[in-house]
Amino acid sequence: MSASKSVRLSAVALVLTLLAASCAVLDKGTEVMNKANKVADDVKTVKTAADKLRSSFADITEEEEYYIGRSVAALVLSRYPVYQNDALTQYINTVGNAVALYSDRPEIFAGYHFLVLDTEDVNALAAPGGLIFVTKGLLRRCKDEETLGLILAHEVGHVTAKHGLQAIKKSRLTDAFMFLGTQAVQRFGPQEVAQLTAMFEGVLSDIVEQLVVRGYDRASEYDADGLAVKFGARTGYEPGSILRFLKTMVGDKSTASGKGWFKTHPSPEDRIAGATKAIAGLGGAPKIDAARTQRFAQSIAAMK
Amino acid sequence: MTKSRSAILMIALVAVGLAIAAAEGLVVKVQTTQLRRTPQFFGPTLAALKVGDRLEKVSEANGWIQVKTAAGAVGWIHSSAVMQSTVALTSTNQNLKTQATASEVALAGKGFNKQVEDSYKSKHAEVSFVWVDRMIQIRTSLAQIQDFLAKGRLAGLAGGGK
Repeated sequence: MSASKSVRLSAVALVLTLLAASCAVLDKGTEVMNKANKVADDVKTVKTAADKLRSSFADITEEEEYYIGRSVAALVLSRYPVYQNDALTQYINTVGNAVALYSDRPEIFAGYHFLVLDTEDVNALAAPGGLIFVTKGLLRRCKDEETLGLILAHEVGHVTAKHGLQAIKKSRLTDAFMFLGTQAVQRFGPQEVAQLTAMFEGVLSDIVEQLVVRGYDRASEYDADGLAVKFGARTGYEPGSILRFLKTMVGDKSTASGKGWFKTHPSPEDRIAGATKAIAGLGGAPKIDAARTQRFAQSIAAMK
Repeated sequence: MTKSRSAILMIALVAVGLAIAAAEGLVVKVQTTQLRRTPQFFGPTLAALKVGDRLEKVSEANGWIQVKTAAGAVGWIHSSAVMQSTVALTSTNQNLKTQATASEVALAGKGFNKQVEDSYKSKHAEVSFVWVDRMIQIRTSLAQIQDFLAKGRLAGLAGGGK
């Protein structure tokens, strides 16, 4: 290779290197610009989400959910007396709060609270805002703490997924949001309070109708079963306990079950299939523990 | 890169920065909670927080948000305890709106609230709230839950939440 040819080649190599380097800079610049645009788009989405006008059950505020839940709970309690046993109530609240802590919504406006209802009907109910009820009849069907944990996790699941609030008729919600929007920064006068109370009554009747009379739709029940398996297993409960419980309900045509559970829940056979799938999806699950079964037995022994 | 291009890039980045700063305001949406030293429920707390308290987001990890309080304390809060807020209640266009966002209603303390519940109660004397109030008073502390989990050999003592 001649000297001049060598110089020419070096020059070409240098140009190519510089070109490649400048392309890299340009690419980098484009990449940064793209990233900036992407962030801008994300921010726009976030801002839109944060600022959007209220349109669905998901836009009900935490405090509103709490006040709706309180009145729904009062209406549930107007149908069933409370079973008063402080030790049992504390035990149920501890199991319930443990699974709630491992749920997707551990923090809720005024915390999760649980009460036992004094009825042999087999049932459990969750009012919005984390006010949860379980009947004596249902507790008698539970063999161990695992089962109780999974049942309470199912109810917590209804709360975290806001199934109760989804029962509110869309038109009613739209009217309420429109009314509350125009009044949001003003003080309510007696007339506004009366109007709002009428809307509130409508909201309550939608939820109570679903909770006590019709029951949630099948999709919500399966959803809550899946959440029960997830939250229960996270807490450390053996998730298969929900299957054992559901199996005891297969073919049960007793009046006690008919009044509550069967009226408001899909067939246990269908739920077993769904829950089995959810458990299989866990990839390993905690095992039952004798220490828990023992304290469960002690806690419900006093139940008359 | 040309000067004009880098200028555009700078403007874009500043704009994004400002937008992020505006979007990263958080508001406590639960009645009471704690600012925690670590991203877990079972651990030391730094300060008590209450509904409506404004926080600034610092970072995020596994369902927990690192925040800074108005007093300057930095700690962790679970994501289920806060909502995003870009709302300035002093905004002059409030009255022009025909609807409100959830954060506006939450911050204004309006909506279905105690005033509405009181009105409902006065119309429905047959519906008793005695047991609802008692139910709300049932307290289960984190220490109780931690002890319960340990004695029952349940999982996640170091964790909490997600």
